[in-house]
Amino acid sequence: MMRPLLIAALAWQDYRNDARLSACSVLALVAVIAPLLVLFGLKFGLVSSLTERLERDPMVREIIPLGGGRFSADFVAELAERDDVAFALPRTRQIAATADLVLPARKVLVNVEMIPTALNDPLLQGLQVPSAIDQIVLSRTAAEKLGAQAGDQLDAAFTRQLAGQLQVQRSTLRVLAVLPLEAFERDALFAPLALLEAAEDYRDGRAVPALGWEGETDVGKAHRAYPAFRLYARNLSDVEPLRRFFADRQLLVSTQAPAIAQVQSLSRNLTLVFWIIAALALAGAFAAVCASALAAVERKRRELSVMRLLGFSTAALLAFVVLQALYSAVFAAGIGAALYALAESGLNQLFMQMPGEYASHLLPSHYLVALLAVLLASAAAAALGGWRVARIDACEGIRDV
Amino acid sequence: MISLQALRKTRGLGTQRFSLEIERLELRAGQQLALVGPSGCGKSTLLDLLAMVLQPDHAQQFVFSSDSQAFDVCQLWQDQRQDPLAQLRRRHLGYVLQAGGLLGFLDVRSNIALPRQVLGLGDDGSVQRLAEQLEIADQLDKKPAALSIGQRQRVSCARALAHNPELLLADEPTAALDPVNAERVMQLLLRQAQARQVACLIATHDETLARAAGLQVLRMVCRRDADGGVTATLERQP
Repeated sequence: MMRPLLIAALAWQDYRNDARLSACSVLALVAVIAPLLVLFGLKFGLVSSLTERLERDPMVREIIPLGGGRFSADFVAELAERDDVAFALPRTRQIAATADLVLPARKVLVNVEMIPTALNDPLLQGLQVPSAIDQIVLSRTAAEKLGAQAGDQLDAAFTRQLAGQLQVQRSTLRVLAVLPLEAFERDALFAPLALLEAAEDYRDGRAVPALGWEGETDVGKAHRAYPAFRLYARNLSDVEPLRRFFADRQLLVSTQAPAIAQVQSLSRNLTLVFWIIAALALAGAFAAVCASALAAVERKRRELSVMRLLGFSTAALLAFVVLQALYSAVFAAGIGAALYALAESGLNQLFMQMPGEYASHLLPSHYLVALLAVLLASAAAAALGGWRVARIDACEGIRDV
Repeated sequence: MISLQALRKTRGLGTQRFSLEIERLELRAGQQLALVGPSGCGKSTLLDLLAMVLQPDHAQQFVFSSDSQAFDVCQLWQDQRQDPLAQLRRRHLGYVLQAGGLLGFLDVRSNIALPRQVLGLGDDGSVQRLAEQLEIADQLDKKPAALSIGQRQRVSCARALAHNPELLLADEPTAALDPVNAERVMQLLLRQAQARQVACLIATHDETLARAAGLQVLRMVCRRDADGGVTATLERQP
């Protein structure tokens, strides 16, 4: 290619000289690019907002075993080791996992369910996790009823009926933190599994040496079987494979797979709609750029003849035409992006429901891909339309200029 | 510089046929010739053939020689090697067109400088000098549309000479000018060509003007053939 910078400069000067026609070709492209950006922005914004909303809520990733099971600690530990599992912890029997709490200063008794927790519990994100048997995290509703807050000491009572007699054991528990309401909406305490095992053992009539509670002492911990577990998939896409994993082992579980599938299906359908519209629009734009290049070659036949007379090669003349299409593409992409930004701000103001969510949203990489696609399509269309330049003889138009 | 033998170019058919037949033409370095003849007798066609922008139908010999090399133009055309032909044009040729042939999107300075830029030659002040010598220095920043026809012709002359070509072709460079301006432009063009030792072939229908400018004259003539078509030839080979 002879002197690319010279050709680019000449193409630019001619492009500027034909400012009105150049503006028309830019606007024709903007008419395709801006609506496509808005359409894709809406598709991406809506779907990512819905997906993020689902991903933000750990409950959606929770897999709850149904019916009574008998799971060993090893089995649950193996589950926790899986790549598609973010958190897994055994649960004791629900009927044995309750406690009566009292804040000594207020004397209000609240019966709460006990939920086992450990490091990486998705419900306790950002909160201090109980690690000792006397540490707990309270749900917001329980804390409000008790009038408790982080740092308070609570009296906990665990009752059992043994040989017709009602028996009670008391323990002091320290509140490490209070959960936000959206994390858990019932009255509950989150405690290390050891406290729940202790309550279950006590209610089953067994002794709990760690807390000094008396009872039978002949049953070993190694044989403990858990009726359920708390399990959270790592990502939304891991929920359905995990459901299938349990189904293959004849274990009935409850998941939010249908809600996730609904969002994924919406994403798929919107993507399909987007690509159908984009393909039609791009085909139209391609034809328009192609026709515009063809018309430009006809219109500039005399100038191109003179340039050929001056020794410009066919490739240089083709580059002259293609570069002008690229100038239009760059301007159109810029204006299209600016118009999209305006539309995005308006749409988000109109339809935004929660902070951090978008009705319409594009990433910088989307802008880059759009720019490259426009440049590529424009260059290809202009090269196709401008190929007529190869057949321009210098003697064809030089008599007229 | 240029050596032609038995060259033929035909356009159209039947009564619309126009054939140009050149038995022999030699143009040597520094030689200044005028190609005279009535309108439509093939002067422009011959210039286009010599400028390597029009392919001959046949030529026994069509050689372009520069200082160091000789190029078989006929073979280049037969092989459709457009790029070497374009290279020959941009390196060795200057062409003054009847209507100027200026690029309307460039100002006068850029129009004159373009052949130098195409060859990668920097601005050594020759554009300004040529403009002064051709009396268009005050027009350099204007667009061609703002110039008179005479001024455009001078810009066209300056552009044809800016890159110091070895051969200057001019197609009726003074046809659109009044006699006083025609003589002035012709004198300016030839003076610059002479100063640069450039071989010239200037097509004009004004033999008096050509002779007054001191050019050797090559006359073209046309004859009507039996089929109604026209054949043009050079009357006298130099």
